[in-house]
Amino acid sequence: MEQRSDRIRRHTAREVLRRIDDSTTANLAHWADQPPQEIQQRLQALDREWDTDRVLEVEAASMGLLGLALGAFYRPRFLALPAFVAAAVLTHALTGRYPLMPIFRRLGLRTAKEIARERYALKALRGDFAGMARSSEAAATASAIGRTEPGRPEPDDPARPELH
Amino acid sequence: MALIDRLPPTARRVELHTDTALNRSIQERSDAEVVRLEGASADQITRRLRQLDEEWDIERWLQTNAPILVLLGVTLGATVHRRFLLLPAAVFSFFAQHALQGWCPPIPVFRRLGVRTQREIERERYALKALRGDFDAVPRKEAAPVSERVREALRAVDR
Repeated sequence: MEQRSDRIRRHTAREVLRRIDDSTTANLAHWADQPPQEIQQRLQALDREWDTDRVLEVEAASMGLLGLALGAFYRPRFLALPAFVAAAVLTHALTGRYPLMPIFRRLGLRTAKEIARERYALKALRGDFAGMARSSEAAATASAIGRTEPGRPEPDDPARPELH
Repeated sequence: MALIDRLPPTARRVELHTDTALNRSIQERSDAEVVRLEGASADQITRRLRQLDEEWDIERWLQTNAPILVLLGVTLGATVHRRFLLLPAAVFSFFAQHALQGWCPPIPVFRRLGVRTQREIERERYALKALRGDFDAVPRKEAAPVSERVREALRAVDR
């Protein structure tokens, strides 16, 4: 998978990326032919899945609060810990590098974009985008002969998948 | 586990803690972008997809904003007065609250400025990819074995 835009993927070891992508492929192969309710539940589970950002935020906040408590009540030099955590989170935001990210990734944590990739591949397998080719052709034909206003989406336009 | 299950879903927790009208106006703006590009050339859609790659989601804004306040507070706390340590303590607490629950004080401000969640950005991305015809090659259920359909679906999302 390419996704060069995913700054965390850019800094993930190739073999770890392969493992993460292989498990996505295996998930899809498993869920592709499940009955609709099962697929719906899988899509919801993907919304619930903890992504790298959420885990990092919980971890950084805990470390930071611990360091602040130690620095305020025990030895001031412990204030280096929250300062380090803050610098690390800022670096993560700007570049995608984070000291603990290699561990998170080896534990199989996925980025929000990687989860979305599985989500929309599964929706495609379910057939959510089927009719797209046909309907855009129909829209083109219809607007060509002036039957509908061009650029006006149909109520159930599959280009606008519902939030669920 | 039970406690984790009670937390809001990762991808939707910010939307769940955003004012409904704000959510709606953010979604309407995304939808308008998709409608605008309906019937546009593949090149135009590709250009928009590159923009979406670069767009900062709300997590990234928070992860930039919070550390700056923490560094400021820790510096003042270490050099001026200990009571300034309350600032980084508050920031880290809200950071944890944001991660677990989906709300923290800057969220309403960012949302009002139109900052989207990654889920909202991806929704626009895949709608545009569908318009571009990326999913047209995914075979129907009975038409091909599952391994081939998965391969085509992944090729479509990665295109």
